[in-house]
Amino acid sequence: MGRSIRAPLSRPGWQIWPGTLLALGVVGLAASGAFALLWQAPALDVSELWSNRYLRSVLVFTVWQATLSVILSLLLAIPIARALDRRRRFPGRTILLRLMELSLVIPTVVAVSGLVAIYGRQGWLTSLLQELAPSLSWNLYGLNGIVLAHVFFNAPLAARILLQALESAPQAQRRIASQLGLGPLWQWRALEWPAIRSVLPGVAALVFTLCFTSFAIVMTLGGGPAATTLEVAIYQSLRFEFDFGRAALLALVQLLICGSLWWLVLSRGISSALVPDRKLADNHGRKGNTRARLLADSLLLGIFTLFLVLPLLAVVSRGLPGLADSLSLSSSPMSGSGLLQATLRSLAIALPAGAAAVITSLLVLAAKKSGGNQLRSRLCEVAAYLPLIIPPLVLGTGLFLLLRPKLGITNEGLVLVALINAIMALPFVLQLLRGPFHDFDPATIHQADQLGIRGWYRWRWLYWPRMRRPLALGMAYGTGLSLGDFGVIALFGSPGKPTIPVLLYQQLGSYQMEAAAATGLWLILLLLALFGFFNLLGRPYSLIARSHRTRAEFPEPNHA
Amino acid sequence: MLIRTACLLLVTLLPLTVTAQPSQELNVYTHPSFAAEWGPGPGIKQAFEAQCDCRIHYVVLDSGGDILQRLRLEGEESMADVVLGLDTGTMDTARKTGLLAPHQVDLSALELPISWSDNLFVPYDWGYFSFVYDTEQLPEPPQSFDELINAPDDLKIIIQDPRTSTPGLGLLLWMRSVYGEEAPEKWQKLKDKILTTTKSWSDGYFSLFMNNEAPMILSYSTSPAYHMAIDKTDRYQAARFDEGHYLQVEVAALVGSSAHKELGREFLQFILTKDFQRHIPLKNVMYPAIDLGPELPEVFSRLIEPAKTLYFEPATVAENRKAWLDEWLDAMTR
Repeated sequence: MGRSIRAPLSRPGWQIWPGTLLALGVVGLAASGAFALLWQAPALDVSELWSNRYLRSVLVFTVWQATLSVILSLLLAIPIARALDRRRRFPGRTILLRLMELSLVIPTVVAVSGLVAIYGRQGWLTSLLQELAPSLSWNLYGLNGIVLAHVFFNAPLAARILLQALESAPQAQRRIASQLGLGPLWQWRALEWPAIRSVLPGVAALVFTLCFTSFAIVMTLGGGPAATTLEVAIYQSLRFEFDFGRAALLALVQLLICGSLWWLVLSRGISSALVPDRKLADNHGRKGNTRARLLADSLLLGIFTLFLVLPLLAVVSRGLPGLADSLSLSSSPMSGSGLLQATLRSLAIALPAGAAAVITSLLVLAAKKSGGNQLRSRLCEVAAYLPLIIPPLVLGTGLFLLLRPKLGITNEGLVLVALINAIMALPFVLQLLRGPFHDFDPATIHQADQLGIRGWYRWRWLYWPRMRRPLALGMAYGTGLSLGDFGVIALFGSPGKPTIPVLLYQQLGSYQMEAAAATGLWLILLLLALFGFFNLLGRPYSLIARSHRTRAEFPEPNHA
Repeated sequence: MLIRTACLLLVTLLPLTVTAQPSQELNVYTHPSFAAEWGPGPGIKQAFEAQCDCRIHYVVLDSGGDILQRLRLEGEESMADVVLGLDTGTMDTARKTGLLAPHQVDLSALELPISWSDNLFVPYDWGYFSFVYDTEQLPEPPQSFDELINAPDDLKIIIQDPRTSTPGLGLLLWMRSVYGEEAPEKWQKLKDKILTTTKSWSDGYFSLFMNNEAPMILSYSTSPAYHMAIDKTDRYQAARFDEGHYLQVEVAALVGSSAHKELGREFLQFILTKDFQRHIPLKNVMYPAIDLGPELPEVFSRLIEPAKTLYFEPATVAENRKAWLDEWLDAMTR
């Protein structure tokens, strides 16, 4: 290798092709999943969509509960994100942020058991309510419970993404606003609204999609068949009726509804304002804070923390008794000595899956950013959202028809599980990286161009320092999602050696409720540790790129 | 760096088992709780491998429905030699695939509440669907379906969805066998007592019943055996209904495309021996398919004895399932 003038990886092709090919791969897999079903199916009867009363009611209910869940989740998420943005320092803030990140990755069976312990008929809070206000008849089962659970799962996620947007509001504006002592309304108009406006549609679409495709939660808390989502109908068609045609038809309907929503969101173009890239958040609360506002913020955050923590506390109190037994390495058949092995097995699948999701996201974003080709940019967009709206069961079945994996027979199959988990995590990781990746102002890029900082060097000195935190968070999400996933591995079958979620279901199926509660708790602790660990990795180090534009270093906030 | 570690992990954690190769491998598709460490799977594997020159390999799928689904998807190229975990509700659908081969097993050792002479399916255990109740919350449980249906609406029960769960489908068949054409209106009467309808038995039992959400849940008459023998508690018991209880038989079958049919048949014959069956009562929490004699755990003598065994032929189930399901949906969403 002679010394070349070119920076490594600086050919434009390096930015375009890997990402494009990956995007093509994702879209290809998803599309072939749906098409494999259609190809196996006899004639499609589209008319049954409106002629069949059952399907009609399922569709209406699915849209209705998702819409309601989105509205309520966002109504809670916006004030929470604002309060968290205003209060940069209070004890426990970091832990609260970690908890908010967890909601997406907690296995539903664990979370629901926690929710029931609080809001159920014998729940703590329900008993308390009955003491205080006997006339209030609170019933968890029905639309109440569905929406409550969806808000519990999605409001923290939405608030977390909105907070990231708020924190990326331009520093200069922040300082000016704080010097002028703007009132809350003006702060909102001048600072906060512009910051979240661009991500809000995406967040709304994300929450809608998650609630639209929700399945176990809706059934457990829905009360009865009146609360049925499209996913149940798909599941039923595939599992019991072997009616590939109907499954494909319903999957297409889902694709159409969620897909057009995303198309609406994306076609409006996510405007990234042209801001100077001096994005260094200060650690101080903004000026112009009155005592009343401090009180209101504290109250809001306190209630929200309780809302998140109480169900998790219930999971802890239920799981603790069995946890010591489960972790003991003694190999008595009745104690889950397999928990530690299952943990290692899970990590061996989840870490590569997380890494694959992050790398794919970066490459796809790079390919999209290189611009030029309208078609390519569209393709990358589609790849970013498709995994979210294709029902996993349809994707899995389709892939199965295509690949015929010998999954349960050999361990190589676990590589495929990791791959599918990575694809499933892609939309979330992309959502996290999108903003920071695109937020470079043209001036900086132009300067880098002039200085010849390209390819690897540009990545190393320009992107990497500012992408560390979102990258770490993306890695945590990607890994966490795979760690808690039961769907993919259950669908394809696994060798007799379980991962943590499989172990959990094995314990449940064998009546080992205490051991299962311990496994659920362990999984949550592990996820917390994981988010904590990646957060540490994402901490910026003091080595700052010394392009001659750098000024004095500002301290970075030690959170997020 | 991290990725490198992960790859190392992957390589070190997933080694291919390198041992002295026995002459044949037997792939058995089954469900999670069977193959679990404390399930019957490991003991059965050990016992069978001691008498054959072979190795059993369990492939774990989500449930009986998934085993059948997987079989259909794989068709003639299936890796499975034996499927274990189908039941009388899904049997006939499996038969119609034409992917299974006759077992040629001598069924004379079978001890079931019904006579059994199927040439494709070998029963390995059985149980009755029943409502399990919490004696602390419900000292006086209903003694019959009629009593349950006419009970005040504050008696809450948890059931599973027949569209997604085996016991859920069992309840549908149970109601149908008790009430026949009147089943839909009885469902409407029962409706207000149903606290919720869960996707799977696990969801209901773990998230709700064990959280004391309702005093009764649809399960098996054998469930209390586990609580009595292993948890050492008499708190959870099954309610005996005068109309009788619906039977579920779990079955295994030989896959037609298997390259090891002889070995597979050996295994199916092995199912009807004590070396297999002794693992069933407390590890699968069902009744053994043969008479275990004194080896049957003592708690099994303390379970309810149904007055009458209710049962539809698998063909009848396959024929009517969709219609009955639609009736149920209609009754429940009115």
